[in-house]
Amino acid sequence: MHHSHIDRFAQGDSLLHRLDARAKLLAVLAYTVVLISFDRYAVAAMAPMAVAPLAWLWLSGVPVRFALRRVLLLSPFILTLALASPLYDRSVHAAALGPWQVELTGGWLTAMNVAIKFALGVLALTAMICTTAFSSLLEALDRLKAPRLLVMQLGLLYRYLFELIDRAMRVRRARDFRGGGRAPAGRRLRAVGGIVGSLLAQTLEKSQRVELAMASRGYRGQSHGLRQLRAGWADAALLAAMAGYLLLCRWVMPAMLGGRESA
Amino acid sequence: MSEILSIVDLRVTHHDGTVALRGASLSVGAGQRVGLIGPNGAGKTSLLLAVMGALPFEGRVVADALALGKHTVDEVRSRCGMIFQDAGDQLFMPTLLEDAAFGPLNQGQDPPAAQRTARAALEAVGLGGLGRRSPHHLSAGQMRCAALATVLAMNVKLLLLDEPGANLDARGRARLITLLAQRPEAMLLATHDLDMVRRLCPRTVVLDEGRVAADGPTAQVLDDRALMEAHGLA
Repeated sequence: MHHSHIDRFAQGDSLLHRLDARAKLLAVLAYTVVLISFDRYAVAAMAPMAVAPLAWLWLSGVPVRFALRRVLLLSPFILTLALASPLYDRSVHAAALGPWQVELTGGWLTAMNVAIKFALGVLALTAMICTTAFSSLLEALDRLKAPRLLVMQLGLLYRYLFELIDRAMRVRRARDFRGGGRAPAGRRLRAVGGIVGSLLAQTLEKSQRVELAMASRGYRGQSHGLRQLRAGWADAALLAAMAGYLLLCRWVMPAMLGGRESA
Repeated sequence: MSEILSIVDLRVTHHDGTVALRGASLSVGAGQRVGLIGPNGAGKTSLLLAVMGALPFEGRVVADALALGKHTVDEVRSRCGMIFQDAGDQLFMPTLLEDAAFGPLNQGQDPPAAQRTARAALEAVGLGGLGRRSPHHLSAGQMRCAALATVLAMNVKLLLLDEPGANLDARGRARLITLLAQRPEAMLLATHDLDMVRRLCPRTVVLDEGRVAADGPTAQVLDDRALMEAHGLA
């Protein structure tokens, strides 16, 4: 298994790929905050918020279908939560869904609101991840004063997660080659326990070797980055454009439409 | 020839009570390449780890005129670089360039200087164009060269190599031998690969049961059939 599962498109070359990771991170952070700030019954009012992530994906050449698959992949858990809303909020609200006026319970509006916020949030995040190398994201986090230990942990996770998955797959394959897949459930479960235990032990041993490798190259608990990011006018333009866009979506347009927050 | 490493009466006992080294003594001259051979469990890796200050030991280790101790371990580590048997353990940063810059940054170089040093080290091992790659995406041979680059970037004087030829195909192994043969640093090369020792090291030390069993010119040691058989090497 390769890192392409995380940054399959991040090595591309577009204007958005070339922007400073800090600008992209801040832009997506601001987008997410504004998205979350919409009223819990807002549905149609959030429609303009779809423009930014879709435009981002389009401009950077990342297939929208790929991003939507990510949304679908992550959706079961959040959709279960969202679909629970109609059970406890039965207040009736008039809602305008485009040209149509309908009456819906608050629970259904909340469910749609949560689903839309989730989908747009994941789309925006995917758009950023697909246009930013993970190492640049880590540097951006570091330069934006995220806790260094967290950044280091994320770096190590990125470096070793796929090795661990590969190792687990090899062990599973070894089990299957000896008929493990056909074994009774109890024996299979015991084998899984063994695999997890062995992986844990190997991971601990590996972490000790990695720690030694770090110490032997002078690591004393203080991480130092290469500082390869360079901010320019294009990054300032991205932030300004995002600020204007968010202002328009969240405050100007709702005000122009009569200050109605919901639907 | 000035001495870059001196080990006197080195004793190492692991936490589980296993005695790894029972009074090993040897020295390595500046720029000298020394092969360290011995059967499994002879104490080769323990000796290298002890020199890096990674294992508690008794005895005396002096690296580049600096006695290894609690307060000098950092300085010793900036003069000696170890290449692990599993190069994957050694490459822990998201990209090769960052990995090669890790040591120089910890040595106090500023980011632009560390970047230049890292690029030069990657160039030196033939990985110049792969700085943005993740180590996970390298072949075994490239990983070994990358691990070497991370250590070379620290401008060390002594390379401690633990089974550098392990898991390499013939081409990767030949490439590594050529690369190591061109390096000016002193080397202590712990391996089972006797052909690599013959091609790289003018001198060979045989370690068995935690002690130095023989120390002499490589051809003389490796051609001594009785000695090699006595220590499980032939």
